[in-house]
Amino acid sequence: MGRSLKKGPAVNERLYRKVEALVNENRKAPIRTWARACMIVPEFVNQTFQVHNGRQFVDVFVTEDMVGHRLGEFAPTRFFRGHTNKKEGIKRGAK
Amino acid sequence: MPRIAGIDIPERKKIRYALRYIYGIGPKIADDILSAAGIDPDRRASDLNDQEIAQIAGIIDQEHLVEGALRRQVSQNIQRLRDIRAYRGDRHRRGLPVRGQRTRCNARTRKGRKKTVAGKKGVKG
Repeated sequence: MGRSLKKGPAVNERLYRKVEALVNENRKAPIRTWARACMIVPEFVNQTFQVHNGRQFVDVFVTEDMVGHRLGEFAPTRFFRGHTNKKEGIKRGAK
Repeated sequence: MPRIAGIDIPERKKIRYALRYIYGIGPKIADDILSAAGIDPDRRASDLNDQEIAQIAGIIDQEHLVEGALRRQVSQNIQRLRDIRAYRGDRHRRGLPVRGQRTRCNARTRKGRKKTVAGKKGVKG
C-alpha cells in the first residue's frame, strides 16, 4: 500500500535541515547518518551521505536517478561471499 | 488473417480473448479497447473487417505500450535500478527474488532449477 500524500515523503527532519544548510552555504560535506529509511528528495542530489549499514558508514553519492528511493537501499547490510567449501573447510574468497 | 501491433496474428477466437495474445494486453485492457472502439467483444477475430482492425490497431498505438516498446521499458527500469546500485538492482544482478521473499527454500522461479550440492549421506550422487 502506498503512503498517504497528506504526510509527504518520509524525510528525516534533522537530516533535511543539515542538507539545507549545506546547500545554502553552497558547500559539500559528507553527512553521517543512521536514517536509512529516509527518502531521498531532490534537494539531496549531488550531496554525499555516509549511511550506516550496521557496522560502518557507506559512502553514497546521490544522483538524480536516486530520488524517491531511500538512503538504506544504497548501503547493503549483508555480504554473501559464497558457501563453505566442504573439503577445505573454509569460505571461498575469504580474506 | 488479422494483424495487430506488429506480428501478432490471433484468430478464430473471440476478439476479446484474441487481443490478449499481444504482450502488454490482458483482460482489462482488451475489454477497454473494444468498448472504446465500439466492437462487440464476442465476435471472432476473423469476422472483423479491415476497418475495424485498423481502428483497434489505432487505439493500441495511441494509448497502450505493447510488445517491443513495453519490453524495452521494463528492461530500462531494471537497468536503472542496477545503475544506481540500489538493493533491488543487486537482486536482479544476482538472479534472486527482488521483493524480500525468503530464499532459504523455494524461490525456484528466480534461482532456476535446483543445483544439488553433494554433502551428507542422504543426497544421491
